[in-house]
Amino acid sequence: MNWTDYSIYMILSSGLWILALIILVLPRKVKVIPDIFLLGGVVSIVIFTIGLWLNLERPPFRTLAETRLWYAIFISLIGIIIYYRWKLLWMLAYSLLMAILFLFINYMNPDTFDKTLMPALRSPWFIPHVIVYIIGYAFLAVSSLMGLKGLYLMYRNKSTDKTIKLADNIVYIGFAFLTFGLLFGALWAKEAWGHYWTWDPKETWAFLTWLVYLLYIHFRVNKRKYVKSSLWILSLAFVVLLICWFGINYLPSAQNSVHVYS
Amino acid sequence: MRRRFWEYPWGYRESFTIGIVLLFLGFFIELVSPVDAIYLPRWPFNFILILVLIAYIYISYRMVKHPFMKWLSSVPAAISSISLFTILVLLLGFIPQTDESGGSLLVDLGLTHVTRSWPYILLSFYLLIILGYTTVRRSFPLNLKNFAFFLNHAGLWIVIVAASLGSSDLRRLNMTLQENQAVFRAYDGEGRAYQLPFAIKLLDFHIKEYPPSIGLVDKNTGQFAIDEMGQLIAVEKGLNTEFGQWEINIDEYYESGFPDSTGYTESERVGAPPVVHMRVRNTITDEIKAGWLTSGSFIVPNKFMHLSDRWAIAMRVPAPMEYSSEIRFFTSMKEYEDITIKVNKPAKINGWTLYQTGYDERMGKWSQVSIVEIVKDPWLPVVYVGIFMMLLGSLYLVWMGRTTKKTENELD
Ligand code: HEM
Repeated sequence: MNWTDYSIYMILSSGLWILALIILVLPRKVKVIPDIFLLGGVVSIVIFTIGLWLNLERPPFRTLAETRLWYAIFISLIGIIIYYRWKLLWMLAYSLLMAILFLFINYMNPDTFDKTLMPALRSPWFIPHVIVYIIGYAFLAVSSLMGLKGLYLMYRNKSTDKTIKLADNIVYIGFAFLTFGLLFGALWAKEAWGHYWTWDPKETWAFLTWLVYLLYIHFRVNKRKYVKSSLWILSLAFVVLLICWFGINYLPSAQNSVHVYS
Repeated sequence: MRRRFWEYPWGYRESFTIGIVLLFLGFFIELVSPVDAIYLPRWPFNFILILVLIAYIYISYRMVKHPFMKWLSSVPAAISSISLFTILVLLLGFIPQTDESGGSLLVDLGLTHVTRSWPYILLSFYLLIILGYTTVRRSFPLNLKNFAFFLNHAGLWIVIVAASLGSSDLRRLNMTLQENQAVFRAYDGEGRAYQLPFAIKLLDFHIKEYPPSIGLVDKNTGQFAIDEMGQLIAVEKGLNTEFGQWEINIDEYYESGFPDSTGYTESERVGAPPVVHMRVRNTITDEIKAGWLTSGSFIVPNKFMHLSDRWAIAMRVPAPMEYSSEIRFFTSMKEYEDITIKVNKPAKINGWTLYQTGYDERMGKWSQVSIVEIVKDPWLPVVYVGIFMMLLGSLYLVWMGRTTKKTENELD
């Protein structure tokens, strides 16, 4: 099996996932069929990857297109698992659409295009590191939306109990993925650069983001108190996250960063 | 009735007062102390310090029944320590960290070397104490929920302690290796030389490169046009492709070629860069051009082809895919072991880990120099235990989320 067979598998996976999402959105509850479609989509892309592996006689971990296959597999899998555990349909939709996006990029950009990846990035850690961050961000972004919703409800004098309860759950999950990202990053840095923590600006700012959400979690241990402040912290925490991640390259302290790749 | 300031149980006011006092105390010590950066104790003193810390927390928690002890593991104390610590890390994130000494106020307050400053040490210590007492109080009785709590909190405690107190035993040294020369000497970050109890000889240095790529260069900017006119395309023999209005056909490709009287020939000489011969057809005017293209090297000049007033076609210097060193590691005059290291694939030997870090970039793939880093980090296994505990603890958070019915009642 090689890339010329790819389109069939891509269409099968994307089609099954989209069908499953449509069925799940419909008001009438259909059992089993969406489950089969969801898993079928993953299986299809896994079969292609295994076929490619056998054909190449090496693990398909080398080129960007191969990397995207793994993104698609793991993001869809994690999305499905979280869906079954938490019944978060938006999360399922988000992760499946991300997976389809990766598959589609592969279709548009097969491997003949420029695919250089600097040596330090050529590591088995690359994929898990990126995936857990993509998922962590999605959760934290949604938690901030819930924060805003809570503030709005409060403004209209409606109950915020349900909203903040859900927000707390989502923060816990998002924070756990952020922790994975940070720790995977540390383990990888040890392999690549000889030390797990160097206070490189990207590390520092990822850690800061983590600390802000850590504060939120602990601020919320006493649930009944300070609901309004909690909602504000939650809404603002995402701003910190965004500044941390997009503002870094403009900081005076970031001029010597090993994370500034190009 | 409102509780008065400093009346137990302490809340946020008292917690933040204590934290802020510690912070300013740190700045004050930093300002008056003549030493610029603090060095933490080394083995075995760091180990003893850790044991004392653990014993102190555990025993005092068991023996002393005072509201103060309760405060030590309270949420307000935790919040104050985490927030003040966050503020210091925020300063660290904004202010460039340098090794400058003396002079400006930033240096004197320790803000240019935050992680070696008194405020940082005091606040870390504050955080460790609170985290320590919290762990001891909340981890029992040992059910699943408390065990997850233990994994997260004790895991973090272990990571912080082992990474900070262990850092004084960490050795990271650089070595510059020349092919076929044994080296006994290594240098630390500050350029101090160290004599090693072993020697390292570079047998061979390799670079594997990506195939070179070609693309359009905008003559106004001198940059490859990645967006408007398509991407860079990896070269192979027989490649047929289009850039905008130009159809390109590569009819010859030498992985390494050298100029001669007729053009280029295949050659294994040092410094022979990749070369292609190609035909370019302008699909609008039907004009055809043919010629050679090379990215050049440190001996061979690069060569591109003009297409129009604005565009030229050029080859980009191949990017390294992977570089590796074959190394002979001598533990004595006669005994040795051969190992290969690559980026992302270090090798362990005699308690040291060898990392490939660089090479002579001007010489590119003909470099006969390899730069390696050798690291000895005896506390690493302890840090990994902590990291592993936190990973497990986080898995629990993903699976269980915020609440179960029971704890809701417990806490209210
Ligand atoms: C890996 C980092 C951490 C994680 C994942 C974490 C997680 C948690 C969670 C989920 C709770 C709520 C437990 C419950 O509701 O029963 C909690 C409580 C708590 N945490 Fe943390 N925490 C972390 C770091 C810290 C730090 C650094 C401190 C202190 C400096 C701290 C102090 C506390 C305290 C005092 C409580 C309240 C315990 C109680 O009274 O029941 N935690 N933590």
